[in-house]
Amino acid sequence: MKKLEVFDPAMCCPTGVCGVEVDPVLAQFAADLQWLGAHGVEVLRHNLGQAPQAFAANAAVLKEMEAGMERLPIVMVDGSIVATGVYPSRAQLAQKLGLALTAEAAPRLKAQGCCPPDSGCC
Amino acid sequence: MSLPAAATRFLFFTGKGGVGKTSLSCATGLALAEAGKRVLIVSTDPASNLDEVLGAALGPAPTPVPGVRGLFALNIDPEAAAAAYRERMVAPYRGVLPTAAVRSMEEQFSGACTVEIAAFDEFSKLLGDPATTADFEHIVFDTAPTGHTLRLLSLPTAWDSYIASSTGGASCLGPLAGLEAQKALYAATVHQLADAAQTTVILVSRPESAALREAERTRAELAALGIDNQCLAINGVFTAARADDAIAVAMARRGAEALARMPAALARLEHTTTPFLPRGTVGLDALRAMAHPEALPVPDGGMPHPHTALPEGLAAMVDALAQGGRGVIMTMGKGGVGKTTIAAAIALALAERGHAVTLSTTDPAAHVADTLAEAVPGLSVARIDPVQEVADYTREVLDKAGERLDAAGRALLEEDLRSPCTEEIAVFRAFARTVDAGRDGFVVLDTAPTGHTLLLLDAAEAYHREVMRTRGDMPEAVRDLLPRLRDAQFTRVLIVTLPEATPVHEAERLQADLARAGIVLFGWVVNQSVLASGTQDALLMQRGGYEIPFIRRVADVPGRRCAVVSWRATEPVGPAGLRPLAAT
Repeated sequence: MKKLEVFDPAMCCPTGVCGVEVDPVLAQFAADLQWLGAHGVEVLRHNLGQAPQAFAANAAVLKEMEAGMERLPIVMVDGSIVATGVYPSRAQLAQKLGLALTAEAAPRLKAQGCCPPDSGCC
Repeated sequence: MSLPAAATRFLFFTGKGGVGKTSLSCATGLALAEAGKRVLIVSTDPASNLDEVLGAALGPAPTPVPGVRGLFALNIDPEAAAAAYRERMVAPYRGVLPTAAVRSMEEQFSGACTVEIAAFDEFSKLLGDPATTADFEHIVFDTAPTGHTLRLLSLPTAWDSYIASSTGGASCLGPLAGLEAQKALYAATVHQLADAAQTTVILVSRPESAALREAERTRAELAALGIDNQCLAINGVFTAARADDAIAVAMARRGAEALARMPAALARLEHTTTPFLPRGTVGLDALRAMAHPEALPVPDGGMPHPHTALPEGLAAMVDALAQGGRGVIMTMGKGGVGKTTIAAAIALALAERGHAVTLSTTDPAAHVADTLAEAVPGLSVARIDPVQEVADYTREVLDKAGERLDAAGRALLEEDLRSPCTEEIAVFRAFARTVDAGRDGFVVLDTAPTGHTLLLLDAAEAYHREVMRTRGDMPEAVRDLLPRLRDAQFTRVLIVTLPEATPVHEAERLQADLARAGIVLFGWVVNQSVLASGTQDALLMQRGGYEIPFIRRVADVPGRRCAVVSWRATEPVGPAGLRPLAAT
């Protein structure tokens, strides 16, 4: 079973609604992770504000954070970093995990590929 | 006349600000202790004056009250509880995570939500964990102002349903996530509150329509939470000694009329009454007098009329306010001092001088619409209603972000919008929007009771920092809020107080808090002065004499702009009732 881990910046909630401005990318990303879970991927998501122990225990993540907080979010597949500073789209996630993306499963949100790490999460 | 019966171990006093929750809970606790019981009095009010009423320096642990065997009290400071909670969450990661990461965690735990939750956490420890209160036969809670109390009490239900319905795996309790493990404790707390054998809720009210309405609202909301063991305590019942004094007759009549018009469900509750005490209820002797009013000496009619040189009326202050031509005017102070009435009187006077005025409120228990029911040209009345604001904000977010999402994404977003943070954010945005409207005319705001107002300002501060850090787009009104509140040319803050010990001391603390937040006062309003009313009633003259040192204390500060508004025979409701307040 493939394992996907996400290390989020400190924020209230995975959809970012608690921030001053809601970022649709965050809401879609949360839905994409659910989709991955339904397709047999083990998904783990860590929020710096709520689960700092996961960050402290991961040397690769610590190294990225020392280089700059804008490296968050960090996405790992089976222990290797596959993205920093952005929330990948569903298509990108599917490709990195070797999943086939059917037309029906493709989300309507166009991949923006970029979400500034401090763009609206409290 | 008597104190509420103490049939259960836990007693909760709740009601509109200024009705005498602290006085009654202390008088009840004192009477129980003097009857040989071991009693703990607890305050969770961010603006608590328990120390002053009991004459003891209190802290977060039970402290004996000097001079009374078996009486203990403690004061939960929500700010301190929040700071302790934040430290507990963050400290283990100092030196482990990069400094910037630790700082972003700290910011995460700096919002108003954290304060609210940390206070509830402390409250739960007392109620839900038997070990902490095992030493006491009665635990008397002098709870926070009503809106705040209800939020504290209703949160666990919100959380229970929230946690139960959470399908996304990751919980959206945000800064509360560290407390999720406490769910069992919170459940025990709610269970305890609803257990009629253990808990009585005493709804405290004055014989006034607004306070009784608030008591009814609380009764219904608590009943909806399954808390049915309630009784009513009417505090401050005044009887006129003579029929020829217009003020005394009006005061007694207004009280009697309000009680006669009491909502039916409230009238069905068992109730007790305590009398009007002209000299306040600070100190143990005054609290004993509350339990035994028959022991008080009856004032005779031959006493000299109390006199002091009074500051000018509200009209001069309105003239000074009108000079700016626009901007925000905020009336602040402890609940029950008449912030809404003063705000409405100022708004009316400005509108009648030809200015465009919006009267708005952030007070969840406000009755602005009731006090200014008739339309006045140039004056509009708006209310920041938390329920409506949450509904609007939720719709706005779903419209804006939701249309680009698939069904699963939308469901997740809707779920997160049900989190307790949403209300804070929604109300804050509404507040910022209202303040922004002061650029085009006058906006008069009667802000929420002191504690909540401070939380709001604190949220403004946290928001301000957040805004400085964020590149993303942000409503301009939100970005400009704090600088505007600090601009004395744009925002004029009035502190409203009553000529009594506790309201004056709390107003002084509020002024200090505002100064720390960089907000300068425009002036002070001493409201409902019986002395200024010219009454000849013996009991009320005694009351007038009691007011003098407090009026002097407020008015004699050099350079301070101050106005006195007298207690009036006609109720300050509607244009006709409000106009006389700012006429002189």
